[in-house]
Amino acid sequence: MLELRNQAAIVGIGCLPFGRRGEFAGKGLVRLAVEAITAACEDAGINPKDVDGYSSYYSSVEPAELMAAFGAHRLRYAAQTWGGGGASMCGAFQNAAMAVASGQADYVVVHKVATMENTKRYGQSFGQIGQGVGAVGGPFAFSVPYGLQSPGQMFALAVRRHMHLYGTTSEQMAHVAINARDMARTNPHARFREPITVADHQASAMIADPLRLFDFCMESDYGCAVVITSAERAADAPGKPAYISAAAAGAPFRFGNALMSFYNQPDPDFASSGHRVVAEELYRHSKLGLPDMDAAMIYDHFTGMVLMTLEDFGFCRRGEGGPYAADGNLSLEGPIPVNTHGGNLAEAYTHGMTHVNEAVRQIRGTAVNQIQGATNVLVAGGAGPAPTSGMILTGER
Amino acid sequence: MPGLPGPQPDPTTEGYWLAAGRGKLVVQACAACGVHRHPPTEVCYACGSLEWAWDPHPGFGTVYSYTWTDRPVVPALASLGVYNVSVVELDGTNGVVRLLTQVTDVEREALVIGLPVEVHFDPAGEGVALPVFRPRTKEA
Repeated sequence: MLELRNQAAIVGIGCLPFGRRGEFAGKGLVRLAVEAITAACEDAGINPKDVDGYSSYYSSVEPAELMAAFGAHRLRYAAQTWGGGGASMCGAFQNAAMAVASGQADYVVVHKVATMENTKRYGQSFGQIGQGVGAVGGPFAFSVPYGLQSPGQMFALAVRRHMHLYGTTSEQMAHVAINARDMARTNPHARFREPITVADHQASAMIADPLRLFDFCMESDYGCAVVITSAERAADAPGKPAYISAAAAGAPFRFGNALMSFYNQPDPDFASSGHRVVAEELYRHSKLGLPDMDAAMIYDHFTGMVLMTLEDFGFCRRGEGGPYAADGNLSLEGPIPVNTHGGNLAEAYTHGMTHVNEAVRQIRGTAVNQIQGATNVLVAGGAGPAPTSGMILTGER
Repeated sequence: MPGLPGPQPDPTTEGYWLAAGRGKLVVQACAACGVHRHPPTEVCYACGSLEWAWDPHPGFGTVYSYTWTDRPVVPALASLGVYNVSVVELDGTNGVVRLLTQVTDVEREALVIGLPVEVHFDPAGEGVALPVFRPRTKEA
């Protein structure tokens, strides 16, 4: 069997300054994508015309527009993985790695951009499904008519179950948000750099009980892009390559459209992030284990789902995510520091792209909260419906 | 429910919604192996059969999870006030069957996981209704 391990590498990252929700609406999505891809190509030391592949997730800017806009010499690969939001985001890197490792393309770009007009807030996108129509069909017929209309409510159902099964508390979840703010304090690009306390968290407004305002990530406008090439070509890159040791997208038995409109998965998986199969695949393909990781970038749209992601990847036993976070294990002094850039909760919400960027910076040795000698970094896509995703990047082939 | 759409039945789901419209709770049952499943789908996840029947259900269950929506998701839903969205696991099914629903007639402090509930119906358009639940008043 062919092995994908370390056959592809990230050689370029590009990220525009983050904006408030709607700040870049006038600029438009294509402009954001073009600027981000230009920056990533510059970082990779290539001309955007050399990009001959696109691998996307949950994207609204198509390769057709981009390859024509840049005047690419040729397009040889165009793929989009399935899944909602940032759940499957590492699946785009899995597809990109397979493409460059098998010679389908030389340079593949993964990009993601967003700008939100007032009518298109992230949290309201589901709410809009039910507005101005008499009836809703498909799977949402079983959720929207009951007023289940936002990601906050959806994840609240999993968090409430986790609290019931394992005694997880809101105060424990606060430590995920506190860690994000602590990490962001030294990050000049982060949007929220002021530290918070458990008391601040507990005083923040209840929105989707048990989730409070400080359990939610922010809404941001952004443009991010990453360049992936083969390990052979990566040797010519100006920067240190971050090899893709493994990337996976998947889900356990009957996980389905979990929490969006499906509630019949086995009990242990209901109160989980859905990463159990992804974790097994990453460790198997990379031939690495969690103790080999120097840092972890965990998609943090909701604090409680970070606790469950830690459990799925084996940071602690199932149900012990709350005490694990509350004991300070996420910090730079912990065994595996988590979200050293500040994550979705404090730096910016980018559907996972900045988690990949930060993993690359740690491997290059250029992170604001640099971990000495960081070699292997785990990236986890968002908890959500099938498929969820993950990736292990490494500085050593 | 005010400000919210009703369900749009399709060939796979209309047996469920039309029964609810008549005040009956039914669960999709595999015609070959008898395993129950929800929401309705084309194929049995246990045995692969494409044939199904609708089994009447007494409508008793327990609360499996819930959330209270303190802030309206979109402004049009402000008239709903603070409401819960709950997952109820039905009693006595062949294989797990959980429904997303609302628990009505319940104080915030009284809604807990494990609360025994019984079905009733909220009209949601011509011939269809939403199964909703309330704390049990009858013996299961």
